[in-house]
Amino acid sequence: MAKPKIAIFDFACCEGCQLQIVNLEEEILSLLGGADVVEWREAMSEKSDEYDIALIEGSITRLEDEERLLLIRGRAKVLIALGACATIGGINKLKNNFDDLDEVKKCVYGRAASKPHLHTGFTKAIDEVVQVDYYVHGCPIDRKEFTYIVRSLLMGKTPEIPDFPVCVECKAKGNPCLWQYDQVCLGPIIRAGCGARCPSNGFRCFGCRGYTSNPNVDAAKDVITRYGLSVDDLKTKMVLFGSKQEPTIYE
Amino acid sequence: MCQCCAEKKDIYLPQLATVADISQMNVTEKYLRLSMDDGMFDFLPGQFVEVSIAGIGEAPITISSSPTQKGGFELVVRKIGNVSGAIHNLRKGSKLGIRGPLGKGIYPVDQAKGKNLVFICGGLGLVPQRSFINYVLDNRSEYGDVAILQGTKNYDMRLFASEIDAWSKRGDVQMLETLDEGHLAWKGHVGVVTKLIRKVQTDLKSAEILVCGPPVMYKFVLMALEEYDVPHTHIHLNLERKMKCGVGKCGHCQINSTYVCMDGPVFRYSDLATLPEAI
Amino acid sequence: MSVKKITKSDFAGFVSALIQRESVIGVQAKGDRFDFAPLESAKDLRLDYDVTLQPPKKYLLPPMEVLLTYEVGGAYQSQIDDKKFILLGVHPYDVVAINQMDELFSQDNYDAHYMTRRQNATIIACDVARSSDHVFASSMGAAVVREGYDILLTDIGDSYLMEAATAKGNELLALAKGAVEADPAALRRREDIWTHNRKSLNKHELKCDPAYLPRLLAKAYKHPVWEERAKTCFNCGSCNQVCPTCYCFNVQDDVNWDLQTGQRTRAWDGCLLEGFTKVAPNHEFRKNRADRFRHRLYRKAAYVPQKIHGQIACVGCGRCVGACLPDIANPVSVYNRLIDDLGIG
Repeated sequence: MAKPKIAIFDFACCEGCQLQIVNLEEEILSLLGGADVVEWREAMSEKSDEYDIALIEGSITRLEDEERLLLIRGRAKVLIALGACATIGGINKLKNNFDDLDEVKKCVYGRAASKPHLHTGFTKAIDEVVQVDYYVHGCPIDRKEFTYIVRSLLMGKTPEIPDFPVCVECKAKGNPCLWQYDQVCLGPIIRAGCGARCPSNGFRCFGCRGYTSNPNVDAAKDVITRYGLSVDDLKTKMVLFGSKQEPTIYE
Repeated sequence: MCQCCAEKKDIYLPQLATVADISQMNVTEKYLRLSMDDGMFDFLPGQFVEVSIAGIGEAPITISSSPTQKGGFELVVRKIGNVSGAIHNLRKGSKLGIRGPLGKGIYPVDQAKGKNLVFICGGLGLVPQRSFINYVLDNRSEYGDVAILQGTKNYDMRLFASEIDAWSKRGDVQMLETLDEGHLAWKGHVGVVTKLIRKVQTDLKSAEILVCGPPVMYKFVLMALEEYDVPHTHIHLNLERKMKCGVGKCGHCQINSTYVCMDGPVFRYSDLATLPEAI
Repeated sequence: MSVKKITKSDFAGFVSALIQRESVIGVQAKGDRFDFAPLESAKDLRLDYDVTLQPPKKYLLPPMEVLLTYEVGGAYQSQIDDKKFILLGVHPYDVVAINQMDELFSQDNYDAHYMTRRQNATIIACDVARSSDHVFASSMGAAVVREGYDILLTDIGDSYLMEAATAKGNELLALAKGAVEADPAALRRREDIWTHNRKSLNKHELKCDPAYLPRLLAKAYKHPVWEERAKTCFNCGSCNQVCPTCYCFNVQDDVNWDLQTGQRTRAWDGCLLEGFTKVAPNHEFRKNRADRFRHRLYRKAAYVPQKIHGQIACVGCGRCVGACLPDIANPVSVYNRLIDDLGIG
């Protein structure tokens, strides 16, 4: 069987997820043993229009990006969204909270706001434009999970991605609950798979992997009340990765 | 087996088997005949095996052939997940792992002797039932009347059509088949399998009734049998659940207090009275 | 068997000798809490702890372990972990939990992975010196334990009492320099501690004898409490993950980069989690939150007891109470609510 051809593309993002792949170091060589990487701007100069698997990093903020993405989707047998910007829109969706994008632009870029390359619209996650076959969640992606997903696909198998909350992995690691240390941790409603990396290092879960498919809204409301917080307090904690997400737990 | 040998054995360790035969039955189902590489395999109708495809995983699959048939055992696999998908890619001579036979296989092999038997199967439900059907037909004189009711969604999804044909040609089996959807090539009954129950010539009240089909079918079959006052001790249901270990540890297949992998997958309906999660 | 008494400074020497001899897993501080971890120095041991974040279960049934390795198309190889180790400072309720797990993993089908670890483990139990915020071991009859350990330690103030219960325990006690035969006053002190603990490890008080719970649950299946509680259940499985008697697991395959060799692993699962009963293509048998919430409490006090001679599979460690963010997991408050509504008898 011929090795599948993989191409990696980036859109609006910090390219940190690609960096995670670069950081695989010797494991990249193993990856190359199972697949041919034919396009990857961050790591090589070659380009190709022929590929089986397209890895998409970043979110979509311009019409020309949508067109480019549709072209990629048309060529790829399998399309994978790589990292929070691609899977849920991520931090880029912060601007979707504002009605007037010109104001947002002026606030961020000042006098440079009118430059043509800054002409962007509302942020879309990849699956708001094209069909996504697999998701590699997180900001940045988890290297272990990424390699597991790639190996699974090379074996012709659907990877098993958790649909349970971060708490599962957090408790299994023997962490105390950060709510007991006055942190508004989003773990109970956010998809696991990261190994509870942030809470294990004393930081609350910011929600970069997106919500589980069925988060309990009533439970969240109950808990914030119990801890003397308001819905707005929770909202400010969720805005970083949870802006304009469905389902949102504060609507 | 003595205790020390039992302790050395790893209950999670599959034994190698070889695909002796594999063929496509219809769009979604594949038929496989397997033989254990160490040759050892004794089982009862209703028992299942955990099939291992290295690198993909394990899935529980009920044995479809009768223990009276020598030369390996048969499985029918619908392509629905990772493991079943990988099984579909196997070829004659491929190696795979097998754990088992597992489960009680409590089709009433002995209790049913001398009794009339009615098999009610929906879709894939024929696959596990076929083990006991052929067991009974191979020991035909030991049982009373035999009726087989098979309901299938449509013409293209019929399984073991030639075997069903052979059963219906025997003088000693009442074979009733129906399709949910009609078809130009189909001359038989159209409608759900429960409609066939009233056509059974055997006295249902005294018969052992064996039911296997999708979860939704059980409610309707049980309702229909209720009309005939069939004692619940005479009804046997084959229940499907998610299963990982197959040996009573992992907890996935639990129905209230009962483990399907240990006490099933075939249950006497009367035993399910205390298990509200069963049906 | 005889009971030894050892001063605290000699005890530290004993612990150092244990560390010299084999791998010791002991209770240590983790921030302002406690947990079991590999013990490198006797001074890190904290037998004055209240409760550990995780029960010692994880050293017998690790959160993730390799069961088998394989080669695609080839034979499977069992991977059995057979290193010897000492679990130091196990509270009585956790000893009871381990005793139950031993029974569950050895009955019917013998689980060589768990049981080999168990046989390689030496358990040095330790009576509770300080009760945790949510312990209710007294209610569950697990505040004091007299079997299932190799050595039992009791802090009697200036010294420890050490009682070996097995040959393995006796062998280790021989390493305890300075240990003397316990005097009657010290033994009385220990009796007093047991009497005290049998009553006082009870921050949540069950209103019935635990032996009554299966009969209570037999009439509570349709009680509204399941829906009421589960309304605010995150299904995060925190209660499962910190429980010393939860042992459900998932099994998964992964391959190495050669795509030819790989391993089959098992990892803790939880009956509260969505998808726990889901089969392909898309049918979930225990789909409602309330049904999953009920299942856990039935498992503890109705289903698992049938497998372990009627023992209740909740030992009152209280970890689930502390781990549940919406505060619905407390088994005592659920069972008491049922008693209030349905009565006893």
